[in-house]
Amino acid sequence: MTVMNENPIAQAGFQQSADTRRSARVSAETVSTLAVAALCVVLLVGARFISPSLGSWSQVETVLVLGSFLVVLSFGQGLVILTGGLDLSLPAVATLSGILATNWVGASDPGAWCLLPVVLLACGCVGFLSAAGIVWLKVPPFIMTLAMSIIVSSLLLGYTKGTPRGAAPDAAVALMKGHLLGLPAPVLFLVGFVLLGWLFQSRSVYGRYLYAIGTNVEAARIAGAPVTAMRILPYVISALSAGFAGLMLVGYSSGATLRMGDSYLLPSIAAVVIGGSSILGGRGTFLGTVGGAILLTTLGTIISAIGLEFGLRTIIEGAIVLVALLLLREELFQKLGSLWR
Amino acid sequence: MSDIATTGASPPAASVTRSGPAPRHRLWRLTHGAGLIFGLYVLLYALYAYQQPRALDAYAIAALVNNTAPLALAAAGQTLVVLSRGFDLSIAGVISLTNVVLAVYPLDGPGGALVSLLVCLAIGGVVGAVNGWLVAYLRLQSIAATLATMIICQGIALVILNAPGGAVSDWIADELTARLGSVVPVSGLVVATVVGLWLLVRRSDYGVALYAIGADEPAAALSGVNVRRTRFITFVGAGMLYGLAGLMLSAQTATGNPNSGTPLLLLSFAAVALGGTSLSGGRGGLFASVMGAATLTLLQKVLFSSGVSSFYTGLFQGVVLIVAVVFSGLLSRIGERK
Repeated sequence: MTVMNENPIAQAGFQQSADTRRSARVSAETVSTLAVAALCVVLLVGARFISPSLGSWSQVETVLVLGSFLVVLSFGQGLVILTGGLDLSLPAVATLSGILATNWVGASDPGAWCLLPVVLLACGCVGFLSAAGIVWLKVPPFIMTLAMSIIVSSLLLGYTKGTPRGAAPDAAVALMKGHLLGLPAPVLFLVGFVLLGWLFQSRSVYGRYLYAIGTNVEAARIAGAPVTAMRILPYVISALSAGFAGLMLVGYSSGATLRMGDSYLLPSIAAVVIGGSSILGGRGTFLGTVGGAILLTTLGTIISAIGLEFGLRTIIEGAIVLVALLLLREELFQKLGSLWR
Repeated sequence: MSDIATTGASPPAASVTRSGPAPRHRLWRLTHGAGLIFGLYVLLYALYAYQQPRALDAYAIAALVNNTAPLALAAAGQTLVVLSRGFDLSIAGVISLTNVVLAVYPLDGPGGALVSLLVCLAIGGVVGAVNGWLVAYLRLQSIAATLATMIICQGIALVILNAPGGAVSDWIADELTARLGSVVPVSGLVVATVVGLWLLVRRSDYGVALYAIGADEPAAALSGVNVRRTRFITFVGAGMLYGLAGLMLSAQTATGNPNSGTPLLLLSFAAVALGGTSLSGGRGGLFASVMGAATLTLLQKVLFSSGVSSFYTGLFQGVVLIVAVVFSGLLSRIGERK
């Protein structure tokens, strides 16, 4: 932790008086966010040259719908990473909400949507338990969320006896399959979610507390931030957003599986990192993360549209993560370089 | 047994680089060595032997050791990286890749097995070198860089074998799971060799440097440790251990699966944490992680023989993990206070 205290770039976010440095930081983040967004547009338009079916408006809609799961998941992951932690329980919590929504709530009763908040509450409780272990029992976040993930998965396995059944509740299907004003409902939802997420992380006092805690916990405490509450909050929000993503996933695919969340853990971390956040905490914006998530999804759909075999597609995806990381390296280099002086 | 208490504790030389740490109390050393986890293992084994009187015969012990070896070696590799204050996700990719290579290109006979061993070590070494280059020289965050190499390795494994299948050579499948003189399990010897090598390496300049960069990198650099080279070697060594883990896993399953390494990813971190190695680097040891892996595997057996549905194995693994970390944290705080 002492290493992080010496980091002038990260501290600038906390020192409101350091106006010049703060504005420099914000503009740098804006630039990297715009760069990621521009890359998405270039990729989508450029894809036309690969195949005429690509780059169309319907493909943009597909990317946004598929990307909405990742955006929602990586909002929570981003908040946890912002405070210097890591949430490995996201897939398990998303699966928890998916299984509860199909096996417990089900599709039969139209009034059953009232139970969906209860499902989210259960997810929130998992997040709270993780946070409690981290804050009060002083278990490292990595271990605590890993343990919670193993525990929740095992309980779900026991609850379903290995074979989930039931269908997605109508409300979840309506959210993912419906249309409003000529646009797919999930796209409209995504716009609203991104707006709220951005307001929360970058414009609300809670968001600023999280930056302060991620930069330097002790300094935040001295400055009067409610440190305990603000260390618990990201894990609860992360579990809630994972739970919501789980509902979206069952709404989209009309059913739940025991491994439905698994493929989203590493992308949720990758989206945050590609979006320009530091994995050490204290730096990064939600808009950057959204860009990272959409970029990953865009690449995924283009690669699968080319029709390569699954293994080659996986190799290309890995190479892309690597290239994105190397492109962001200058910033990292500066940050790490500043640790030496 | 005397070296168990010290196996995991950082060598005294590492503390030179830290600015005035509290004197290492015996209890403190014990908790951050393998003592705690070794005690837990013995207790659990006593419970297992009580439930299953046959648990003490050579066949049952060999079966248990065979089950433990892949995770133990994977956790051993992960420990090296964690000690240097990093995370290595490529573990899943390397194990899957070596498993697939062994199943698709089986080489028979002892000579073939030797070549296979070298191939596994080479695959792990090359992936480790890429990781090391990305993290040590290009300064990428280890969790992000190894995420990318893991995905690429998984992809290569899928290209080689896109669905479970293939057969590992008979010699590897038979001999590496056999018992020497019908008593000593071969897999146990492999793990013991790795632990033995570690005991030598830990005392070397490299070992001291490893603990030093994990504890306080700028201080280590200022005291003349070659941080980049140390970190690079760490990733290469870790990769080779994952390759060995892939070989032992293949010997046990005797077949190929492009996703065979995935379950070991999170369990390797669980084993490292259970062994008391600090995830923020610089504290812990390889033997403790091997014992952590052994405990996780034994726990599975105990639960099974207690009649607990295998669905709930994870529940107990998770709870044991949290309790062990909390308990070891408490002990170390008591130790530091004295």
